[in-house]
Amino acid sequence: MKKFLACLLSAAMVLGAVGCSASSETAETEAQTETTEAAAAESEEETTAAETEAAQTEANPEETAGEISDTVKQLYADFDKSMEEQIGPMPENFGEIKVGAVVISLTNPFWVTMKDCYIAAGEELGVPIDVQTGTTEGDTASQLDVLMTMADMDYDVIIVSPIDGTNLIPGIIKCNENGVKVINLGPGVDTEALAEAGGYLDATITVDFAEQGETVANDMMERLPEGGQVAVLAGLAGAGQSEGRTRGFTETIEANDSYELVAVQNCDWDATLAYDATKALITEYPDLKGIFCCNDVMALAAVEALSAEGVDGVLIYGVDFTDDAKAAIQEGKMTGSMSYSSARYTKAALQMAVMLNEGETFDSNVYLPLTLVNVDNVNSLEGWK
Amino acid sequence: MSDKILLSAENISKSFNHIKALQKVTIKAFEGKITAVIGDNGSGKSTFIKILSGSLEPDEGIIKIGTNSYHRLSVAQAINAGIRTVYQDLSLDNFKNSVENIFLGDEITRCGFLDRKAMRVEAAALLEEIKVRIPDLSEPVRNLSGGQRQGLAIARALRRPAKLLLLDEPTAAMGIQESAKTMEMLGMLKRKGIAQLIVSHNMEQVFDIADHIYVMRSGEVLVDTAVSDTSPEELRELILRREDERIF
Amino acid sequence: MKGYFDISAKRLKYMGDKMEKILGYIKKEFSSPVLLICFCLMISVFLSISTESFYSLKNVVNILEANSYRMILAVGMMCIITSGAIDLSVGSILSFSAICTAISLKAELPIALCILLGLLSGTVMGVINGVLVYATRINPLIITLATSYMYRGLSLMVTEGIPVTKLPESFREIGCGDIFGMESGVTAAFVIIIAMIPVFFFMKWGSYIASLGGNPEALKRCGVKTWKYRISVFALMGFLASVSGIIVSARLNSAEANAGLNMEMDAICAVIMGGTALHGGKGSLFGTVIAVFLMGLIRNGLTIMSVSSYYQQFITGAMLLCAVVIAELRERRARIG
Repeated sequence: MKKFLACLLSAAMVLGAVGCSASSETAETEAQTETTEAAAAESEEETTAAETEAAQTEANPEETAGEISDTVKQLYADFDKSMEEQIGPMPENFGEIKVGAVVISLTNPFWVTMKDCYIAAGEELGVPIDVQTGTTEGDTASQLDVLMTMADMDYDVIIVSPIDGTNLIPGIIKCNENGVKVINLGPGVDTEALAEAGGYLDATITVDFAEQGETVANDMMERLPEGGQVAVLAGLAGAGQSEGRTRGFTETIEANDSYELVAVQNCDWDATLAYDATKALITEYPDLKGIFCCNDVMALAAVEALSAEGVDGVLIYGVDFTDDAKAAIQEGKMTGSMSYSSARYTKAALQMAVMLNEGETFDSNVYLPLTLVNVDNVNSLEGWK
Repeated sequence: MSDKILLSAENISKSFNHIKALQKVTIKAFEGKITAVIGDNGSGKSTFIKILSGSLEPDEGIIKIGTNSYHRLSVAQAINAGIRTVYQDLSLDNFKNSVENIFLGDEITRCGFLDRKAMRVEAAALLEEIKVRIPDLSEPVRNLSGGQRQGLAIARALRRPAKLLLLDEPTAAMGIQESAKTMEMLGMLKRKGIAQLIVSHNMEQVFDIADHIYVMRSGEVLVDTAVSDTSPEELRELILRREDERIF
Repeated sequence: MKGYFDISAKRLKYMGDKMEKILGYIKKEFSSPVLLICFCLMISVFLSISTESFYSLKNVVNILEANSYRMILAVGMMCIITSGAIDLSVGSILSFSAICTAISLKAELPIALCILLGLLSGTVMGVINGVLVYATRINPLIITLATSYMYRGLSLMVTEGIPVTKLPESFREIGCGDIFGMESGVTAAFVIIIAMIPVFFFMKWGSYIASLGGNPEALKRCGVKTWKYRISVFALMGFLASVSGIIVSARLNSAEANAGLNMEMDAICAVIMGGTALHGGKGSLFGTVIAVFLMGLIRNGLTIMSVSSYYQQFITGAMLLCAVVIAELRERRARIG
């Protein structure tokens, strides 16, 4: 009975937010920016950059970086070493190539940054790249439409980051048929379903999502030596990155008896849902010690919810290390966020695209090295991108 | 009275939440005659016409049409029994044209498809017969004048053989000229043998064409008289006298 | 000499009159479709010139495929709006009927039965909408808003938020397999439009649906059982939503509770842009079809030109605004004239 009630309640909450977004798409975006308290100027800057594709002003990290710290230099070096091992060196000369990328949504700051990074990496490597997206974050059908259209255009390689495991499969098959190489970056395509449908991926570059959850769990346990209750705000049910992060986190936490996992709540990557879920959680479990949110948008919403409830001392972790999260960590409102270099990530993907086009093959998945940014190291990471 | 009774509504009562709209009202309509029901707003005449046309159910009373008697008439029963109503608001679909409005709810079809051609021919003939002039039958009716719309509503009522035409305030919201024309048309219909029951608040107007007059006040029939037995002046006096009787 | 000119003047006048009559007819009956077609042509010409990949058969097929299910929804919504109602539960019905189909597929029932179950669930939900709207006489906006939450909630309860994926290949073959070199959804949309033409224009049903929007009281007084039509138009919408649901789930190889989010808004947008009045009474089937195309063209064009998706919503909104303002101005002029 209790479960049923909880089900009903959560359904009502989900739909509450759905209703808001139904009335106006922009309202959703606005709500997101509001809750995350993005400095208006900053996000505007981002938007304009994306719109005009004037990414060259931001250029690549090494050039702009008067303020790159030693830690960051070390991280970059580690990264490059790991990539060199997995991918191999960038070919010196390569033929003409046109690359397309399908990302998840430009209403999420993470993907806005990714878009900028793609374009910057394209400039650096001399590879023309177009970055496209579906209309909104949950719109699986329109993301497919975009890929279907791109499959018939003159791209040599398309890098896809699907909203869920299966939504892009017909598009990938079409790319296969048209001889367009497909790289899967980030959230995974359900390879089993893809194979069943008669398609294949040419390469996969991704993050080990379980590792992200594990790293956060370990850091959290270090900071909570006396144990306590913890919770997870997951993303969209069924989305690979959400499931992976949640799994990594819960397995690590549950292995230790002094910690109790009280709830795993799906909040669909949505700030409003995460905000409400956090309020509900803290009311039900006043002794809650830590929350792991599967992305920063939800983590920042959790921060807001806790400060609105007048609760402090709860450790909040996110994933993506967005600008807003960085500010929150610096202020001590958030404890940490899982990060990797988006600039290096996209650059590696582009390098793989070029190598595929030159006839190279990648048999195993390429995994990115990960970094946990927390309150201790955040200030030594100036210039990390 | 030697005329054959076409419809008689006997002892009809209806109340809405303790407000008695009709109290034991008995009204008869005769074949080939025009019966007028006169009353001010709130006298219960609209409630009465709704009951006759089948859209309201009376609390008490019986409606006799020919040999059949009904406690409650449905819209379809009323139509089948030959009672045709021209509502005060005319009940036209403004987006549809004249032909479509005349045939609304009673379209001619061939193998399930609307037979527009046949309907157009029939509509034109019908309008011609009752002398309603509409230049363009395919014009949406919202662009027509009040008189033309009234004519359309009457044409629709007369499409199937009608025993009794119920007219609810046929001249409401009409200018003097158009009112006169409408009255002229009703007179013409009477000469064709179509019985009518006209509900109106305007005594002078119906006096010229009606054969029998009922006057209603506060849900009751106050006066029940044949027009040939009285004159407007007499009727007015009668109304005043009866009202005094009621009060004292 | 004089005679010659006479005849020619007469003939000219005759031809002029005829032209005027034809133009007048087009203006009266098809003004919004014509305007939209002009828009479509302008955009197509622009895209053909400025991009390489637009003007190709493949791309046309892409546009058709990407909009087949939107087209089906919009046709149903056109009937609903013509009848003076609105249905906000379309997206929810789409998702629920897709989930019904997917779950019964997972239970390894025969495919035909699964599809039938999906269609049936959608139709039943439509009937529920219709009955509620008719029986309560509450504004359909509110009724279907409520049912849209309820249906979406059902989807979430049934799936617990987890998408049902990896549907059988044979189902996907039906839902998005190849017919005439295009996904079967395109054929489905085409068949539905063709089937709607007689029903909507040449049968009682279409006429009564329009009267439900124009003057429902009049229809009732003419002895028509309005409940039949009120309920059937919602049932049709539910049915078409489930057809779309099956197409969408077959394409995406998954049925999820979040599918079809906001799709009712897209459909309403297309219907209104196509020239159907929001208060009902008169519907425009062709206008709706063309408006869906137009919106699809814009989406496709923006993708091909690599323009950010930020613009798409703004442009769609602006076009809708233009369309309603033009329609309103025309309406006012017609009322005065």
